[in-house]
Amino acid sequence: MTRTATHALPGDLSPRQKLERAIRVDHAGEFGAVRIYAGQLAVMKNGPAKDKVRKMAEQEAHHLETFEALMTTRRVRPTVLAPVWHVAGWALGAATAAMGDKAAMACTVAVEDVIDEHYRAQGKQLDGTEPELCATIEEFRAEEVEHKQMALDEGAEDAPGYLLMRLGIGAGSRMAIWLSERL
Amino acid sequence: MMSLPSKTTMMKAKTMKPTTDPTLEAARTKILDAALTRVADEGWTSDVLDQAVVESNIDAPLAARAFPNGLASLIDAFHRRADASMEKRLAQTDLSAMKIRDRISLAVRLRLLAMEPHREAARRAMVVQGLPANVGPSLAGLYRTADAIWYAIGDTSTDFSFYTKRALVSGVYASTSVVWMSDQSDEFEDTWAFLDRRITDALKLGGLRRKLPSLEGLLGRWPGPRGIRRPLSRSPGR
Repeated sequence: MTRTATHALPGDLSPRQKLERAIRVDHAGEFGAVRIYAGQLAVMKNGPAKDKVRKMAEQEAHHLETFEALMTTRRVRPTVLAPVWHVAGWALGAATAAMGDKAAMACTVAVEDVIDEHYRAQGKQLDGTEPELCATIEEFRAEEVEHKQMALDEGAEDAPGYLLMRLGIGAGSRMAIWLSERL
Repeated sequence: MMSLPSKTTMMKAKTMKPTTDPTLEAARTKILDAALTRVADEGWTSDVLDQAVVESNIDAPLAARAFPNGLASLIDAFHRRADASMEKRLAQTDLSAMKIRDRISLAVRLRLLAMEPHREAARRAMVVQGLPANVGPSLAGLYRTADAIWYAIGDTSTDFSFYTKRALVSGVYASTSVVWMSDQSDEFEDTWAFLDRRITDALKLGGLRRKLPSLEGLLGRWPGPRGIRRPLSRSPGR
C-alpha cells in the first residue's frame, strides 16, 4: 500500500528517497528502451516496420535526454547497472528483430506494457509532492502507450511465441525496474 | 545508429540540493559552533558534544534528532559545512574558461581551505573517522565530498563515468587532505604541488583505460547513443 507523506510510518521511504528512486529507474528505463530500439534498428531491414521503430526510438531518445537533465538538476545518481542495460537492451532488441518484424513488435508490446503500468504506479506515488515530474511522466506514459498501440497494429500478436515472449520480456523488465530503483 | 539531439540544446540549470529541515539545520549549526571551540584541545569526544548541547540551549530530544549517530553525526556536520562552503565559493567563480584538471584542483583547495580555521579539529576528526565503527559513515562522507566537487564544477554525466569520476576524485581528495593536515610549508605550497601530481596521476589512469583493449572497447563497438563512459578529459560534457 502506498501512503502519503502525512501518513508516513517509520520505514517508509522519505519523499527525497522516492524522488531519487523515480528518477533513477526512469532514466534507466529510457536508457534501456533506447538500447533496445538501437539493437532492433541494427538488425531490421528497411521497410515500413523499421520506419515505425525509428520514430519510436526518436521519442525514447527525447525521454532519455529529459531524464538525464533531471538527474543532474536534482542530483540523483544513475544506476550502477547502466553497463548491464547497455548490453542487455541491445541484445534483446537485436534478438527479437532477428526473429522477424512481428517479433520485434511483440517485444515492444511486452516492454511498453510494463512501462505503462510502472509510470501509472509512479504517478500515484509522487502525486502531490512532485507536480512537474508527474506531468512529465504522464506525457511520456501516453507516448509509451502509443508505441504499444503502433506495435499491435503492426501485428505483434501474430508473432511466433507471442504469449511466451510477452511473459518472459515482461518479467525481465519488471526485474530490471526493481533492480534499477535500488542499485 | 540513431541520432540524439545534441547535448548543447540541453537545459543547463543550477543543481538543486535536497532540502533539509530548517529547525534541525539551525540546531546543528549552533551545536557544531559550540563544539568547535573545544574540539581542538579536547578532541571529538562525547563529553564535548554533551557540553555543546547544553551551552547552545538546545533541548536533548532535538539534539538527538539533529545528531542521530552522536559524534559521527557531529563530524559529518563539520564536513558538510566545508562542502557547502566550497560549493558556495565555486558557484561564485567563473569556471567556463578553466580546464577540467584546474577545476578539480581549485575545488579541492577550496574544500581544504574551508577547514583551515579548524585544521586541528579536522585532523582529530580523521582519527575518530578511522575507528572501525565509523568507517562506513566516513566513506559515505568522502563520497559526498567527491560528489559535491563534481556537481560544483559542472559535471553532467549520467552514465557509468559518473562513478569512475567520483572514485578518482575521492582518491585525490583523501590523499591530499592527509598531506594538508600536517603541511608546515608557506601557504600550503607543498600540499598544492602534491595535489597537482595526484590529479595528473588520476587523469593518466583515465587515459590509460582508453588505450587498453578492455570490455569498454568491446562495448564501444556496439552501436549506441553513448559510449559506456565519456573520456574524463572531455568532461564535464555538455
